[in-house]
Order: sequence, then structure tokens, then C-alpha cells
Amino acid sequence: MNSPAVRFQALSVQREGVAILQSVTASVPSGGCCAIVGPNGAGKTSLLLALLRQIPYTGQIHMATPPPRLGYVPQRLDFDRGAPITVMDFMAMSLQRRPLCIGISRALRRANLERLADVHAETLATRRLGALSGGELQRVLLAAALQQEPDLLILDEPTAGIDVRGEVLLCELLERLRSERGFTQLMVSHDLATVSHHATHVILLNREVVAEGGPSEVFTPPNLAAAFGLHMGHIMGRISGGAAEADEGNR
Amino acid sequence: MMAQLVPIPIAAASTWLQLDLLHVDFMRQALLGLLIIAPLTAAMGVITVHFRMSFFADAVSHSAFAGIGLGLLFSVSPHWTMPLFGVLVGVGIMVLQRRSRLSSDAAIGVVFSGVVAFGLAMVSRHAHVARDLQKFLYGDILTITPDGIRGLILLALVVLPYLAWSYNRLLYIGLNPPMAAAHRVSVAAYQYSFSAMLALVIMISIWAVGVLLVTALLIVPAAAARNLARSAGSMLGWAVVVGLLSAAMGLILSAQPWANTATGPTIILVACALFLCSQCVQSRAAKRTA
Repeated sequence: MNSPAVRFQALSVQREGVAILQSVTASVPSGGCCAIVGPNGAGKTSLLLALLRQIPYTGQIHMATPPPRLGYVPQRLDFDRGAPITVMDFMAMSLQRRPLCIGISRALRRANLERLADVHAETLATRRLGALSGGELQRVLLAAALQQEPDLLILDEPTAGIDVRGEVLLCELLERLRSERGFTQLMVSHDLATVSHHATHVILLNREVVAEGGPSEVFTPPNLAAAFGLHMGHIMGRISGGAAEADEGNR
Repeated sequence: MMAQLVPIPIAAASTWLQLDLLHVDFMRQALLGLLIIAPLTAAMGVITVHFRMSFFADAVSHSAFAGIGLGLLFSVSPHWTMPLFGVLVGVGIMVLQRRSRLSSDAAIGVVFSGVVAFGLAMVSRHAHVARDLQKFLYGDILTITPDGIRGLILLALVVLPYLAWSYNRLLYIGLNPPMAAAHRVSVAAYQYSFSAMLALVIMISIWAVGVLLVTALLIVPAAAARNLARSAGSMLGWAVVVGLLSAAMGLILSAQPWANTATGPTIILVACALFLCSQCVQSRAAKRTA
């Protein structure tokens, strides 16, 4: 068995004396799609931010050596939607040192268009970031993350704010890219049905790890009740079929 | 006939605007100083607007009083204490924002109040300085000396290469700092260096337009550029053009006998007028695309 891409060991995060995460020990297997799920306030995004070294934590985060190249797709961008920043500008910002006012090099422009084509977004290159829909922006953010040629692709709620069709397309796209490029995918999601269909490994979190493993092992009534409360019966039917199917597929 | 017609309006405008005023030494020096300051503030303003740091700029500019106060306390020229203290305040605010649990506004508000109170308390102990405060409030570009111009050239030699090096990365950080950090951008280094650089530019620009209006010199050209530009690159160019036009037109208009206004506020009024024009241009463009 491959060594895990990431291993969280006794990781705790506190904010103003309140425990956000308590002694989280879990692994992200290499090459798969690992989903972190849990209710609101479970500490899912905090776990990602700790991994990105953006918040202080105690405990340890072990990564494979050499440290993997990261690609990160945030849930949203915090910017003035009227700002004249085009998709092409955005794609060039982290890779080109020459200031954008002098122009974008031809080679980078071509590479950007290829990455955008990978996520079916090449027609968006000249559009302003602020004019994109939720789904379009997610694909552009994904293209920017792929441009980093990541070993570990981290996504924070990639399907939030997009419709069901967009969600399915995005998940299928991620699966294709993962199989083509062989990166490890780690995503936070609130959508149990999507996770049960697409994830190969699940970390169920509610400030601490409730369960970890394949979707069908994790999405059991006792685990879901422990994480989300007692009123989970109505979603069980929706996800149990998907989980079994996903596990079958992963096998 | 045509050959004669072309120069006539230019000559008339030149006479009407009394452009020969620019032959006077102090006016020429002031114009030169403004033509250095305006592009610097406009370019830094683009990032300031992107980072939503106008309150930060206000706090740093108001720390000028404390810089003057410290100069009095240690018998050092405010030309040194103001920029040094400004940089210290700028970096201090960034430390507070990054490390404390205070919200960004609260962190700036605390520092803002402290430095203004300290500065005014120090200055109030010296009646002659209190009388001179007006030039810090409104700016005094007309008294700039050749040494002052040399100082501005030095500032430009530091700030312009810095901006050329970091413009793209700063824009990227402004969109989402964790994303920039994950993609191997040294977020903290850029944030601290930009804060220090911005504080330095603000403190030097106070000599031109004063404490009360220096934020406008940063923000207004950048806001106009946002309306006129079609890409992140051209935003920088437009901001510099609006900054330069505002500075040159403001200086010339303020010297007109019919205007007779302080140079700093006149520059900002011109910049605001250009912003209004940019707003009209943007509205028309939006209607065309709708």
C-alpha cells in the first residue's frame, strides 16, 4: 500500500479558547479522492487552512517527501467584482514576474489557454472575473490550481453555489483530470450524495474524527447520527446506494 | 489660413491659463516634484484599492503628527522622523492585522487613535509648531527644494522597481491570500513590504497634498482607472495617466489669479472631476453592452 499523501496526527486548533478541532488523526491516501465531510462548524475548512499553514495548530501534519506541490481551489475569491481583472490576467498573476501592464508573454498565454481548455473554459479567457457565474469561476479557479502542476489538489467546497448539473460536470472533470495526471485530491464538501459517488476515502469530521475509510464504511446511520444529529434518516436512502456503487467502482 | 488657425487656440489657452507661470523657478520645481509623486501614488493606489486599504492609508497619514512630535522630542528634523515613524506604523498595523484576533478595522482604529493623540499632544506643547501644522494639513509643494526633488527621485528609484517586481503577486494575494500561499507566493513578505512601501510614499506625499488629502491622491486616480481599464495591466497605466493629469492641471489651475487656491486640494478636485468623467465613460460602455 502507498504511504499516505498527508497524515494528520493529534491535530488541534483553538480560536479564542474555543476548540475548533480536537486531536484529529487521519490520513489522506495517495492518488485518490479524499473528502472531508461534516456539519457546519465541524472544522472542515480549518483542517484545510491548517494544512496550508494559514492558521496556528498543535499536533503534526506529515506530508510525503519531497513536499508535494500544492494546488488550491478556494470556495470564493474576495474581490471587487467590478475590477477589470480578466481570466487571462488572473491565470498569469502567479506565474509571470513581468508586470501585467507590459503584457503577458506569448508562451504563458498559450499555456493558460491550454489549462483553460482542460476545464472547458477557454472561451472565458477575455471575460472579467467578476462577470463569471459560480460554475465558471470554479472551473477557472481549478485551471489556475492545475497550472501549478500539483501533486496534491485541495478544494474547499468546490460544488457550493453551482447547480446540480454543474456539480456533476465538475466532479466528472475532476475524476478525469485525476486519472490523467495522477494527483491526490482532497476536498471539503457538504454534499454527502456527491461525496458518496465520487470519493474514494472519506474523513467524517465533527471537531474530531467521527469515522474514516471508504464511503460505505463511513456513511452508516450511527456515524451520520454522531456527526449530524439524529435526523439523518431521510438522506440515508439517497447516499447509501451511491456509496455502495462508488466502493464497487473503486474496487 | 489653416496653419494660422491651429496655434491660435493653443496660444489663447496658454495666455488664459498663464502658463508662463511655469517659467518661475518655484513653479517649475513644484511641477517636477508633482510629476514624480503623482505616478508613484497612483500606482500604489491601484494595489491599495485592490487590498481595500484606504483606512490603512488614512491611519498612516495621520501618524505624520506623531512623526513631527517625535522629531521635536528628539530634536531631529521631521523630514526624517515622519517617514521613519510612518513606516513603523504601517508595519505595526500589518503585524496587528495578521497576528491578533482584532478585525482589520479595529486594529487600524486602535493604532490610528493612539498615534494621532500622541502627535497632537506632543505638538500642542510647542506653540510655534502648532502654527506650522497648516502646511502638513494642506501640503506645501510650492516650497519644495532641489534637495526635496532629489529625495523624490530616490523614492521613485526604490518604489518603481519594487512595484514592477511585485505588482502581479500583490494582485494575486489580494484575491485570496491562502490560495496565493498555497501557490508558492510569500504572502507575509509581500504584505509587510507593501505596507512599508505604501507608508513611505504616503509620508513623502504629505509634503505635496497634506495629511487630509493624501489618501485621495492614492485612491481617486485608481478608482478612475478601474472605470477606464479593461484589464489588470491597463489599470496601472490609466491610474498613472489620471494621476499625472490631475497633478499638472491642479498645479496650473491653483496658480490662476481667478482661482488662487491651495495646490493640494486643487489637484484632488481635478482628480475627482476626472473620476466623474470616467464614471460617465463606464456608464456609457455598460449601456452599449447591455
